[in-house]
Amino acid sequence: MFQSLFAFRKPIPHRLQTALGILGFVLFLGAWHLTAVSGAVRPEFLPTPLAVLEAFGRLFTERDFASDIVISVTRVWLAFLLSVVIAVPLGLYMSAYRAIGAMLEPFIDFIRYLPVPALVPLLVIWFGVGEASKIAVLWMGTFFQLILLIADDTKRVPSEYIESGQTLGATNGEIMRHIIIPAALPNIVDNLRITLGWCWTYLIVAEIVAANSGIGHVIWSLRRFVKTPEVMAGIIAIGIIGLLTDQALRFAHARFFSYLRR
Amino acid sequence: MTASIKIENLSKTYWSEDGKTETKVILPMSLTISEGEMVMFLGPSGCGKTTLMRIVGGLEHQDKGSVLLNGELLDKPDRRRGMVFQSYSSFPWLTVRDNVKFGTRYRRDISETEKQEVTDHYLAMVGLAQYRDFYTNRISGGMRQRVAIARTLASSPQVLLMDEPFGALDAQTREHLQFQLMDINQTEQKTTIFVTHDVEEAILLADRIVIFSARPARIVKEIVVDDLIPMQDRRSGDVDPKKMFDLRREIHDIISLQYSSVTEVV
Repeated sequence: MFQSLFAFRKPIPHRLQTALGILGFVLFLGAWHLTAVSGAVRPEFLPTPLAVLEAFGRLFTERDFASDIVISVTRVWLAFLLSVVIAVPLGLYMSAYRAIGAMLEPFIDFIRYLPVPALVPLLVIWFGVGEASKIAVLWMGTFFQLILLIADDTKRVPSEYIESGQTLGATNGEIMRHIIIPAALPNIVDNLRITLGWCWTYLIVAEIVAANSGIGHVIWSLRRFVKTPEVMAGIIAIGIIGLLTDQALRFAHARFFSYLRR
Repeated sequence: MTASIKIENLSKTYWSEDGKTETKVILPMSLTISEGEMVMFLGPSGCGKTTLMRIVGGLEHQDKGSVLLNGELLDKPDRRRGMVFQSYSSFPWLTVRDNVKFGTRYRRDISETEKQEVTDHYLAMVGLAQYRDFYTNRISGGMRQRVAIARTLASSPQVLLMDEPFGALDAQTREHLQFQLMDINQTEQKTTIFVTHDVEEAILLADRIVIFSARPARIVKEIVVDDLIPMQDRRSGDVDPKKMFDLRREIHDIISLQYSSVTEVV
């Protein structure tokens, strides 16, 4: 049993995989609880998991946390979809036409190395303190990464597929629509899932500037009163939303691209 | 429908990335391939035979010279020259049937109903009708190559270009597909250029074998196999072993000489 569990690069049963995933969380919670109750760390810095759970309940009953979640989810998805709508076609064309790639790639490399928090003041000057600047922060965090990932996914489509299309009589547009996009789609969707995760990581940055709603705002405002359990509950809420979204996208990926299974 | 190919004074040179070093790949050469003829390109590894075939297919460009299809100058790929690659080029997101049907997708000369009929016809021809609903990563390498051949034939090319299509297959599957290709060729009578390293394969399938020198490629010998071993005999397996042995030896000797000439130059 133990040997088969640690067989090199061998798959394990689906149920066992799920059980091990849950075990990872249980071990983390156990270690956290033991550390918190041991007295090694003061409760203001590290409350017990139960205290955080209670704080979670209070956030919903006393602060209308559900609305904050809806607002944050909307912001993240709006910014993410805006990135996707622009990055996907641009990434496809960057790989299809070398001139476009040659012109844009160095510029995108330059932008994507700029730390997003450093751009916040500039984005506030440009877009004000309303929703637009928050969406812009999230968009900046994902768009420039996504565009290169899409271009790479497209470049990796085997040349034999493209040349097959050419010798079957397809035009460049038909090759793009009927061959390159379907061939690259599984990797593109996988990268969308990864960049959506990155978008969530910029949420706090986006919601600390003149915000009065959203998970990031809740976390940042409660920090001032050292409400550590509530702060941790807010952070965990982001993790839970991320995990659920990720699992849903993985499930959709497995369903839509079932042909990848051998 | 089939066609003749005429290669006239064609040459090709590759240049290094910095544009300073040139590597001659194909020396000026001319070659005519008749309608319905199956010509095998044979030669040392890396000699330029695949490059020549890709130029005929419009997938690469020559420096000088021309390629003519029924007298018409060619400069880009199109449906008239269908290509089967060494690596598996069937599309994994389509089933076996949809892959073959993809070959008819850009045909404007037939109706949708006829496209279905053509698809089923070639599926049956390559013996994959019972695997029609399988995705291609769930079938063997040999089957995938049959899918690629059926897809190319479904597009109704005038010329079939095959770049070591059986090179990655095991000996048994390879032999099976070689005989299947002989049957297909008998029915379809397509003008075919077939690149191979395998002397036996060349003798078995060719109307004519064109042997190239080591890089830069030039034609060192052309052998009309039918004059020595009629296709009928090869198809039935009724081949005089001595004739087969002599021909194989002659070809091996020519190719070995090309390798040794390279060694001498080095």
